[in-house]
Amino acid sequence: MFKRSILFLLSLLLVAGVFVPVISAQENVTITVLNYMDLTAPGTERTLKEVWYAFDEQHPNITVLREDLYLDAFHNKVEAYAAADKLPDVVYMWPGGRSTTLHTKGLVKDLRPLLGDEAQYYHEYATVDQAGGFLALIPSTRTSSHAMFVNVALLDELGLEVPETYEELAAMAPVLQAKGLDTVLMGAQDDWVLQSCLFSMLAGRFVGDEKFDEIKAGQAKFTDPEFMAALEFYAQLYADGVLSPKIMNTGYGEVKSLFAAGHAPFLIDGDWAAGNFVTDESTGEALISPEDQKQIKMMVFPAIPGELHANSSSGTLGVGYGMSANIPDGSAKEAAAWELIKWLSGPVVQGISLETTGTLPSRNDVGFADVEPILEERIFNFYNLIEADTYILDDFFEADVFMPINIGLQEIGLGLATPAEVAEATQEAFDIWFAGQ
Amino acid sequence: MKKTMFWSEKRRAYLLLVFPAVLIYWAVMAFPTIFSFVLSLTDYNGGPIFVRQAFSFVGFTNYLRMFQDKFFWISLKNNVFIMGISVFGQIPLGFLFAYVLHRKLVKFGDFVQTIVYLPSVISTIVIGRLWQLFFSPYGPLVTFMQKFKPGWYFSLANDPQLAIIPVLFVILWMYTGTYLIIFLANLQKIDPALIEAARIDGATEWQVLTKVILPALSGVIVTASILAISGSLKSFDLIYALTAGNPARRTSVLALYMYDYAFKHSPKYGLANAIAVVMVLLSLVLIGVVKITEGKFGGKE
Repeated sequence: MFKRSILFLLSLLLVAGVFVPVISAQENVTITVLNYMDLTAPGTERTLKEVWYAFDEQHPNITVLREDLYLDAFHNKVEAYAAADKLPDVVYMWPGGRSTTLHTKGLVKDLRPLLGDEAQYYHEYATVDQAGGFLALIPSTRTSSHAMFVNVALLDELGLEVPETYEELAAMAPVLQAKGLDTVLMGAQDDWVLQSCLFSMLAGRFVGDEKFDEIKAGQAKFTDPEFMAALEFYAQLYADGVLSPKIMNTGYGEVKSLFAAGHAPFLIDGDWAAGNFVTDESTGEALISPEDQKQIKMMVFPAIPGELHANSSSGTLGVGYGMSANIPDGSAKEAAAWELIKWLSGPVVQGISLETTGTLPSRNDVGFADVEPILEERIFNFYNLIEADTYILDDFFEADVFMPINIGLQEIGLGLATPAEVAEATQEAFDIWFAGQ
Repeated sequence: MKKTMFWSEKRRAYLLLVFPAVLIYWAVMAFPTIFSFVLSLTDYNGGPIFVRQAFSFVGFTNYLRMFQDKFFWISLKNNVFIMGISVFGQIPLGFLFAYVLHRKLVKFGDFVQTIVYLPSVISTIVIGRLWQLFFSPYGPLVTFMQKFKPGWYFSLANDPQLAIIPVLFVILWMYTGTYLIIFLANLQKIDPALIEAARIDGATEWQVLTKVILPALSGVIVTASILAISGSLKSFDLIYALTAGNPARRTSVLALYMYDYAFKHSPKYGLANAIAVVMVLLSLVLIGVVKITEGKFGGKE
């Protein structure tokens, strides 16, 4: 009798052991998500319906409690959650830069074991280790932090042509000024914009990644001729009238509509700005109508005299979703969170993103239907123009180092500092940072 | 015997009644302030805080770094400007409007009161965005001016020495209404018979103002000054929305300077808390100054 009981119990345990994971997978799970979303962007309605609500419908046993934030509000919340060690189960994040805390403090899991064979569907760049030395997120795309949008129709109207060299661009400045127009628009009131969307590209052209690697290793300096040349060329942009100090009073959110309204034939921004010009499906309105979008060209900054790397642009891995390290391994919550991350970085969602914002998918199995002309320009022309991706300085260096550059670029534009002073201030900040490593 | 007296029913009742308030005060005021000071002596830079090796103590390094940073002094200077426009701009202007309205020296008093007070009830962020667009190089101000002078643009906002002026103007515009209401409410408390008696005795409008009304409002002026000073040190949201502290951090203030280190990019909580501690100390000093002033010039109501 005793033996029978033991056998019965063992059988029961065996059966339970086999079936518990299945039951777990079906049990109701609630996961929290901190999402980054501009609710005013065109395409948001479609994203909500076809990404988030669709996931809810397909997974009735998973309840997603989503918190949508944007810009600084998002970053502040991440840091607050991190400080309290209460990171949401799934969190939108960058492969470095502003998500440094999540990477370096090990607050998110390594997704590689969960990814498994699925890795074959991603381009190689999407599955390399990130800032923390592990796969914290699966980047949905590659992104170029520099793109030059050209209003070809406006240039035609003024009898001008798309410039291929900097000299041609600079020669346009007086012509445009005489017509009451600016040459290049930038929404550079926020100090990251000049560095991220313009100067990182210039630094790539004049300095190059190898030299920046040496600088980071303490084997070269910001005061070396290459970095100085990049800063001096940047200062030259103001002297030539290509950039105006006005850009430092122009809000980042304001500049796209100014470009659409024809205040200048050129706009320098990130490649993501293309998504701001497409039609918002919820209103049927667009900053630039699909017909007029055919007259918008996307290019990289023209050839610069003395540049070491032609047609390069500053670029980095795109964003993705990470999983809180607080979720127990093998738990139902981990399975649910992974299910969501898989969906968010999967072919359907990357396809939607491609159609709404023109982001190049990091997966190799994404198909897409119609896109508006400016997104076609981004997908089929712009990326082919880029001969090399170089570092984005605020992605490559710590804030202690790039902040003097961010502020210094504004100071040069306002005539408050010389390129040499900014280089020295940056080197000084770097030395302090380097000593603390 | 002593023990029994100490735990007397009356004392226990006191302690019971005071305990919730002390607890709340400790939780939301005292503890964060002390903890902020402790963090200011560390190199804590994010991540779970109540775990081992979350940070190490670095002494007064953060304070030293802060005092050596030119942007700290620029921010402090801007705070002083804001304090100046608040105490010597908003309060006199608010009083002037209140006096004019109270003495019915203008027509359509209710309309004027509404117009002056209206900015105080609009969201600060909305106001910041509105004025940012107004001062924008492509905004209504520039567009209007260019009708008279083609090529004109609002260079003040790009002048590092003067960029704070548009910010001060918006602050003056936004908060004057608050002081108008405070003064108007207190003016209405002054017995009209006093003013009437002064007028019968031959006092001029100026004499009524300086000999009757201002002395009666001295306490209110001190209170308004304390509000203005503390509000000035807290300045953040309006400037954040209006200029984000730029160009080149020339319109930054201490709260924004602290925010940059606490929340922007990779956080430096030690340094951010050092800035916060200095702000608290500054508040205490300034409140002390106002209290001394109150003791000297107040109490003549």
